[in-house]
Amino acid sequence: MKTLTPEQIKGIVHMVAQTREQELNCSECQSFVGEFAERQLAGLPLDEALERVEHHLTLCPDCREELLALEKILRESP
Amino acid sequence: MPIKYQTWQAFEVKSFGEAEMDLIRRRLNWISTSKWLAFFPGWINFSSMVAVEINWPEALRAVDNSKALGELRGILLNGLRIALRDRSDISETQLEDFTQDALLRVLDRFEQFAGRSKFTTWAHTIAINTAFTELRRKRWQDVSLDALTEAGKQLSEETTLPDKALGDDEERTRLVETLRKAIGEKLSARQRAAIAGELQGLPFDQIVELLGTNRNAAYKLLHDARRALKTQLSAEGISQETIRTVFAL
Repeated sequence: MKTLTPEQIKGIVHMVAQTREQELNCSECQSFVGEFAERQLAGLPLDEALERVEHHLTLCPDCREELLALEKILRESP
Repeated sequence: MPIKYQTWQAFEVKSFGEAEMDLIRRRLNWISTSKWLAFFPGWINFSSMVAVEINWPEALRAVDNSKALGELRGILLNGLRIALRDRSDISETQLEDFTQDALLRVLDRFEQFAGRSKFTTWAHTIAINTAFTELRRKRWQDVSLDALTEAGKQLSEETTLPDKALGDDEERTRLVETLRKAIGEKLSARQRAAIAGELQGLPFDQIVELLGTNRNAAYKLLHDARRALKTQLSAEGISQETIRTVFAL
């Protein structure tokens, strides 16, 4: 493995620093992400469950990528 | 077909049967044409303030659900076209395959739909996950577990994670050194491999597959690793302030 770049090291530290005792996993995130996207697009506040979704999204690039795709669909679908 | 009546102020959704919905429609129609409306001009467009959506779970549960399936298939296919529009390497045939797989997953799970979002939004999340998981798997299919385990092992070596990687500052040097030692001493080989996978940009599903586990177990593996590192940094007196300076680089 090549020497890690400062960005990669910061990435690890970020993941460690953001770690909470209780977190949603990807499947749990997927259960709520539809509501999360709808409320985000409507400018509505997030409740506690959705705040946990937001936290998961800061740590999981795959779920984040899927949220962006969903938001694109919701913005453009009739 | 039973239908769902949705107010547009929020996300409150109530279900009505066909007869009830008919009554609501007639009442809305009466309001919008009534002479009394002159006294309530704000109500003029009241009937346009509601959106009517198919009650998808009931439509899919029906003995003859072919019409609902066809409609849902079209919605999901259109959604994937939008989501993957920028990917010139994806053909219409692939989009249709993703849609078909997604539809099967929706049929398998729709009884679990909790109604926290629109049904179609929920179904889109499944379609996106189906398509993106497959695309990521194809991109990273040549990576082996052995390579990942070796990369994980190297994370605890100074050639991969040098003390001065973040500069000469004493606190940053200590942070990197403590992190490297903690990776070597507090994590298992599988945890190190999973972290190495993330650092290399491997999709989570690919890490899951290489580790021969499932998404939830792999997430727990990584979560436990992050917790162990956090605990060790804290035990070694690495403050939040030091961590904040790392991000201010």
